[in-house]
Amino acid sequence: MSAYIIPILFVALFSYCYIKKINTYDTFVKGAKKSISLVVDIFPFIATIMIAVALLRASGITAILAGLLSPVFNLLGIPAELIELVLLRPFTGAGSYGLLESVLLEYGPDSYISRCACVILGCSETIFYVATVYFSQTKVKKLLYAIPVALICALVGSIIACLLCKVI
Amino acid sequence: MIISSMCFLLWSSPATIVSTMVEASSGALKLSIDLCAVYAVWLGVLELVDASGLGEKLAKLLHPLIKKLFKIDNNEIEKMIALNMSANMLGLGNAATPMGINAMKALDDGSGVANTAMIMLIVINATSIQLLPSTVIGLRASAGSTAPADIIFPTIIATAVTSICGVCLVKLFSKIKRRKK
Repeated sequence: MSAYIIPILFVALFSYCYIKKINTYDTFVKGAKKSISLVVDIFPFIATIMIAVALLRASGITAILAGLLSPVFNLLGIPAELIELVLLRPFTGAGSYGLLESVLLEYGPDSYISRCACVILGCSETIFYVATVYFSQTKVKKLLYAIPVALICALVGSIIACLLCKVI
Repeated sequence: MIISSMCFLLWSSPATIVSTMVEASSGALKLSIDLCAVYAVWLGVLELVDASGLGEKLAKLLHPLIKKLFKIDNNEIEKMIALNMSANMLGLGNAATPMGINAMKALDDGSGVANTAMIMLIVINATSIQLLPSTVIGLRASAGSTAPADIIFPTIIATAVTSICGVCLVKLFSKIKRRKK
């Protein structure tokens, strides 16, 4: 079902453009052209944040943090097995999907732990990555409360995810 | 953050520092090339949406919501934000990014400090309502789940709660900031 939504939207859009007599080819090319300069502009930011995350993980700091924080997360109802996932999620999309895969394999895809992990990933975003990329083309240096608010929401989301998976 | 992890590695396994960094950077390059391809498709589509006037219609549809959330009155920016939000809802994070970057650029007032509208945009993107967590469902299906899509419902609830929570917190903080002035 969901596999059809985007293709149908595409067909509808192209037909609509045809009816409206827009030069579809030229317009598409014009837009696609922008992708190269955009990626060139944001690559340094992506590289830097990924290097920082890789160092963090390689150093084992995240694992130590996970150990230290486990009582707190326990209190919030987040299983100890998922702490590393919750901690890494704001930093790395590919990394957290990798973690999800190992959770799915280890505990079985229909277990409580796996379902929690899925909902946590589904309702959250790679906050630091999004913030770096979005602000990379502006002059903004001070983000004020943007990151803390996003992180609080992610934590709330994780708590609710674990609660909901128990009920549903 | 980088320094502390470097110090840590210097003490545990100094040989891995440079290789880890280069490896991560090459991962970033691969990701960028993938993104370039994805953006080419979506920016092309976006240009069509824009040229056909559909963008404006979408913006008009979401106008009351956007006006309430962002307190802006600019058609161009509203259109960008409307497209960004719609892409997010469909679970197309990568398609939402180029539109979000454009909106962010347009919102920038050059003062070097993020304004409330920019923070709202980041928080909405960070907590965005996802109606179709397609990647997660795909991963679950390939791991042999009996009902891979049964996480959709809890995900929608959780993501709706985080979005509401995010919007309220941003409103609260911006009020506190204004009062301080």
